[in-house]
Amino acid sequence: MRFNKWQWTALAFALLLLGGAQASQAFDFGGLLKELEKPKTPPPRESGQTPAAEPARKEQDGGLLGLGESLGLIDKKSSDLLKGSVSTLKAFQPIGYEEERAIGGSLAVQVFNRFGGPYPNEALTRYVNLVGRAVADVSDRPEIDYHFAILNTEHPNAFATPGGYVFISVGLLRLLKNEAELAGVLGHEIAHITRKHALQTIQRGQALKGLTSITLTALNKNMGLFDKVIDEVSEILFTRGLDKELEYEADKFGTEYAFRMGYNAEGLKNFIAVLGQSHEGESSIFSSTHPTPGDRLSHLAGEGEKYKLHAHYPVLAQRYKATVQGKL
Amino acid sequence: MNNTLNPLNMAMKRSLLVLLLLTLSGLGLASAALAETLYVKSSATKLQAADSASSKVIKTLSQGTAVEVVKKSDKFYQVTAPGGVKGWIFKFKLSAKAPEAAGGSSGLLDALGGQQMAAKESASGSSIRGLSPISEQHAKSKGISQESIDAVKQMEAFKVSAKELDEFMKTGKLGEYAP
Repeated sequence: MRFNKWQWTALAFALLLLGGAQASQAFDFGGLLKELEKPKTPPPRESGQTPAAEPARKEQDGGLLGLGESLGLIDKKSSDLLKGSVSTLKAFQPIGYEEERAIGGSLAVQVFNRFGGPYPNEALTRYVNLVGRAVADVSDRPEIDYHFAILNTEHPNAFATPGGYVFISVGLLRLLKNEAELAGVLGHEIAHITRKHALQTIQRGQALKGLTSITLTALNKNMGLFDKVIDEVSEILFTRGLDKELEYEADKFGTEYAFRMGYNAEGLKNFIAVLGQSHEGESSIFSSTHPTPGDRLSHLAGEGEKYKLHAHYPVLAQRYKATVQGKL
Repeated sequence: MNNTLNPLNMAMKRSLLVLLLLTLSGLGLASAALAETLYVKSSATKLQAADSASSKVIKTLSQGTAVEVVKKSDKFYQVTAPGGVKGWIFKFKLSAKAPEAAGGSSGLLDALGGQQMAAKESASGSSIRGLSPISEQHAKSKGISQESIDAVKQMEAFKVSAKELDEFMKTGKLGEYAP
């Protein structure tokens, strides 16, 4: 029996469907879905690739392009061009964890040096660590160690540095009303680390211009380069602030992480609203390094629908009061 | 014109139907083979006998353990752990992404540095402890006080145990303990 053009079309469609299904089996399908869900704002050099995912991606590139080429949907020239683009992108090496910790550790020293030393209250530090650890454990990067400290300053500040260092000031703890707000604020800072916002900024910066990678060995041999990286990123984190889009992203992911742990998802939103009305907020580093509270709230507004069914989740105001308020 | 009597159309319809069935069965086979694999996010994750935080803990799984999803409930996923043990895990303790190799360097040592890293530096992430020597060196070269360096070391040394964290979640009715 000879096939007419409609039958050939149907056959091609069926093969494409089967090919797609099998290709999706060949790589991490869940990971791909996750990639698709990622917001569009961060630059493509996200450095969170897992070793397990890397070969799978190669298969995806070759497999689907090869399939398209063999079906005549993509000509060889276009296929080669696309494959070339993919390999060019792979040439950029993400900053490794050890380098990340070295950078984050240096910045953490600067945080204590510039924004008040550690607040000497072990019970309170333990409480902040418990809330932070609970939220970090359900984040998208739970495999690294997170450390939480309270800064001994009345200015309401919070910081995150790469490698898992999170800071919150006494002044900010005073502004918060409940544990859900604390979880939201810590979630925001954790999100900066899980999404590697500072690392992305470093990779795009002037200090590393012309390089495709940095390693501890190379940095140890060239302390001048390390100094330049730290100077550049500390200026961004502590003075100019990260890109606004990255702050909005941290708000979104921070809210999500706190929600996953079972906190009321309004926590971060409510704190931002309080910050907007507070005079303390004006003297805070938030005002110089973050978008305005109004802008942050309007960006978060779109997320509200997602958590509507979970409005009954607890804010744990009593536990917060018992542990924090009156003990500062 | 009566199309149903046209032998060419009949043959075309039959072949399209066969193709459709083949496609659907192919997709079915593909999905059956596509059992969802997830990874345990954090260490000491509890594998429980039922989809409830109060149910018996069958065993604890270490970070990065791959499990196959059997069934999903509101807050828990029933999974098959290595060795064929079935149980339930709080869904947000599972990830579609295998954990990042936390100890990994950016991998261009030979190209840029030419030397191997010290054993401590190249060890797994969980074994890396303390402020990196390069961070301390940098701080000292900038005239930053020893107090600030020590504060980071104390921050790193501060630990909460898995048991303490579990108790904290239980009393707050958080995570898997949420009603």
